[in-house]
Amino acid sequence: MSLVLHPIEKTIIKLLQSEKNLTELQIIEKAKLSADQTRRGIEWLRLKNLAIVTETEQIFLTLGKNGLDAQKDGLPERKLVNLVADAPVPFDDLRKKLLDEMNIAIANAKKNDWITIAKNDSGSIVSLKKKPDQTDEEKVLAQIGQNKILQNQIKDLAALESLKKRPDYIILESVKTKSLSLSEQAKSVDVDAADSGAIDVEADVPLIYAAKTHPLKDTINEIREIFVSLGFTEIAGNLTQPGFWNFDALFTPQDHPAREMQDTFYIKDKLAKDFATQSQINSVSTSHKKGWKYSWSLVAAKKMVLRTHTTCVTIKYLAENKPSEARVFSLGRVFRNEKVSYKHLVEFNQVEGIIIGKNVSLRDLMGIQTQFYKKLGLTKIKFWPTFFPYTEPSLQTMVYNEKLDKWIELFGMGIFRPEVTKPFGITRPVLAWGGGIERIAMLKYGLNDVREFYNNNLSWLRSTPKCQ
Amino acid sequence: MPVVTLYISRLQKLVGKASKDKIIDALPFLGLDIEEQTDQYIRVEYSPNRPDYATDVGIAMGLQGLLGIKKGIAKLAIKKQKDANYSIKTDPAVRKIRPYVLGLVAKGGKLDDEIIRQLIALQEDLHFGVGRKRKKASIGIHNLDSIKLPLSYIAKPKNHKFVPLTKDKEMSVSEILDTMDVGKDYSAILGTGSMVPMILDSQKNTISFPPIINSALTTVTTTNTNLLVEVTGNEPSTVSDILSVMASALQGLGFTLYDIKTDKKSSADSLKTRTILLDPSMVNQTLGLNLSSVQICNMLRKCRLDATIKSKKIHCTIPSYRFDIFGPMDLVEEVALGYGIQNLSPTLPSSVSVGQKSKTTLRLDQIGQIMIGLGFTEALNSSLTSKQVLYDNTKRDASKLIEVAESKSQEHTVLRDSILPGMLENLSKNIHEQYPQKLFETGMIFSANSPIKESISLACVSAHKDSGYTEIKSILQSLLKTNSKIECKTKTAENPMFAKGKTADVIVGDKKIGVIGEVNSEVIENFKIRVPVSGFELVLSDFVL
Repeated sequence: MSLVLHPIEKTIIKLLQSEKNLTELQIIEKAKLSADQTRRGIEWLRLKNLAIVTETEQIFLTLGKNGLDAQKDGLPERKLVNLVADAPVPFDDLRKKLLDEMNIAIANAKKNDWITIAKNDSGSIVSLKKKPDQTDEEKVLAQIGQNKILQNQIKDLAALESLKKRPDYIILESVKTKSLSLSEQAKSVDVDAADSGAIDVEADVPLIYAAKTHPLKDTINEIREIFVSLGFTEIAGNLTQPGFWNFDALFTPQDHPAREMQDTFYIKDKLAKDFATQSQINSVSTSHKKGWKYSWSLVAAKKMVLRTHTTCVTIKYLAENKPSEARVFSLGRVFRNEKVSYKHLVEFNQVEGIIIGKNVSLRDLMGIQTQFYKKLGLTKIKFWPTFFPYTEPSLQTMVYNEKLDKWIELFGMGIFRPEVTKPFGITRPVLAWGGGIERIAMLKYGLNDVREFYNNNLSWLRSTPKCQ
Repeated sequence: MPVVTLYISRLQKLVGKASKDKIIDALPFLGLDIEEQTDQYIRVEYSPNRPDYATDVGIAMGLQGLLGIKKGIAKLAIKKQKDANYSIKTDPAVRKIRPYVLGLVAKGGKLDDEIIRQLIALQEDLHFGVGRKRKKASIGIHNLDSIKLPLSYIAKPKNHKFVPLTKDKEMSVSEILDTMDVGKDYSAILGTGSMVPMILDSQKNTISFPPIINSALTTVTTTNTNLLVEVTGNEPSTVSDILSVMASALQGLGFTLYDIKTDKKSSADSLKTRTILLDPSMVNQTLGLNLSSVQICNMLRKCRLDATIKSKKIHCTIPSYRFDIFGPMDLVEEVALGYGIQNLSPTLPSSVSVGQKSKTTLRLDQIGQIMIGLGFTEALNSSLTSKQVLYDNTKRDASKLIEVAESKSQEHTVLRDSILPGMLENLSKNIHEQYPQKLFETGMIFSANSPIKESISLACVSAHKDSGYTEIKSILQSLLKTNSKIECKTKTAENPMFAKGKTADVIVGDKKIGVIGEVNSEVIENFKIRVPVSGFELVLSDFVL
């Protein structure tokens, strides 16, 4: 069987056929390969049983701070004999010169039998007994000097051990080196004859990013699919709406706080034209006068706003088509005049579905809701009563989130108030439900900051996996 | 949504015979959202249409019903006073400024700091919500013992002086309106006339300057046991609605209520119950249940309403403070609450229907797929953006900009008439990311046209060191051909956003449907982008949607 070798492998084998045993560093140097290529090459050869890797530990020595000082100025005991070389010196005078090294100097000099200590009236006095030659320890110090040397280069192990006992004289450093030799099989390989078709299949390659849909769009599409699968047909409407369809048609009184500029975006200097039929306008105005007891203003109804919900699309659809039986939904951007923060956007997506039919009930609304959440993978849900200005009765869904370990509020729902439907001649119950999509997407992508969806941060867009 | 703090031990005493856990579990089923919960207190959010839930006595009353401790209406007992001094006389001049007034005396109650705190919170919530920031109606609560009845409600000039609440020296009306915060906040309600409304007692002492501030003379403290409540306003039904909530709360707190006569109606006349007829079949159909009339009556009574059956119809009696109830459908919701939402099991509607996406959605999905196939990643930007991004940085014509009023966010003030500028902004925020960067977006653009025209647009940008006109035109042609076999032409044009000689109009048939080009180096500089950018934008609504 012919051998397929990568150029890196060939280089290393060739080298070892002449040099027998080399360390990783030596291979890098001699084969002119990068450290990474060498490491990989060694690993491949080992796996193919073409090379034997042996790991050896080597200990290197360098002098510590005290060792370097002693090499320069002499060991403490050498300093001592130099001080007493010409004449005996009193103990106290020596201490002043040798300071911390006094005790060790006296101890070693006495042990080596270099000095004698005599006592007189004024204290002890030290005199030289014999002038010593260079000691074994001094020889080792000199041998190491400023260099880093292998421990096994030192022959006088006794002197080395004794130096090691002195604090901060010798620093040991252990280096593990891999060295490589060829297996019997590899020794006889004819490198030049081996195939060289192999490439470095394990090397890193340049990163490329697949173009894809926006993660929020994926959630929007998922929700749209769910609505369609539940039998709903999509309808659409404008993002800019006269106050009439956004508020008045939904029985929101003209002095309601939600209609103030603090909450709703009004478009400067724009009034709607031909936005509804005269009879629609008349019946809505009558419903307001009767229900809210105030004088309804046509101008307020004409003011153009950025829609605050998709419900304006729904009610306009109902008013224009007067279906007796239908399931429709609308999905799109809605706007609120809010300060942008990690949990609030001025513009976000909302979805809303309605069912109109003869005998549809609040329990049906709860049922369709349950189906919707089930398809989203949310099975632990409950319903609480709540208040919405244009539905009665009204409920909200609470969904249990495993990750956060708490119940969170999701979609709202209810049956359109008669004050909303009657002016448009709709007599059958209209079940309505919906809510914000970003909230669901945040749960899906585990985001804490809703702004991320609109930052278009490429590293986020590129790294967020399509499957969640 | 307004929030109320409930001290658990107080609430438990008010509800009676119910464990702490039972009470807490029942709160959401009154429509109250728990915001915060500690061992001592719970903070709940309530709907502005139920101001009776602004105090713990109101909530306790609701809980008693749901938990079956007390059912039916807690009747308002307003004693008629024979004493003719229990009256407010209205001066015809004040009718032009703030025409309506009602009042009530509440005696023999006990006040502590917590009760005063709740009364003030209730007053503030009523002012803000039902009272529409005091415009429709506002409330004054006074220490009755510092007042000599009867009262007169009159118009006074702006040099009228009295010591306002929280101050210790006399101030003129003008000074109050100009220097005090409440004066500045609410003076607009009084209009521009020279006279303002004022309530004086029989000794000519100023009691209240509605809707701005009370007099210091009648300051309520914990030692007081007798109170006077007055409500003034522009809307008679709101005035009596607000008085009814106050009356119900004070009675719940243990006060005995006494009527005060006004020229038109006495307060007792204004706070009467009303009756709404309810068809049991409507209840059952709406809720999807099969309840007997007796059961329905019982559920209404659990919601603190009264109900009786007369010739197959349910006669439901509603206390005056439940002005959130408009008609029978509101009573259906009450029945649902009385039944317990947790007891309603979901069903599925019997009708069958086949759903489908809109044509626009389908088309946009197809176009998006091709853009992705061409290597472009989808971006999403707000349609509400800034003049800086849309016009200043791109040198585009801003003469027809569509602006929103009073935006709270500087980056969101103008509706986009083009998607491309936002995409350049995206590139400028990604200069440290790997190139090439290729983005596309589809979305709504807006133009001024009686009053506003909305169109769906597609834009894309390609940013890298070799980006140029040829590349982007290839993308454009490939997109149109692959998507719908459309051949387009590019006709030399000028566009301030693009480099001279490197931009064109995109023409399909004889119609301009978009622009294409290499982005002008000055524009690239304005967005602090460091590589060449080319791109195009097509108004899809004009030719494929």
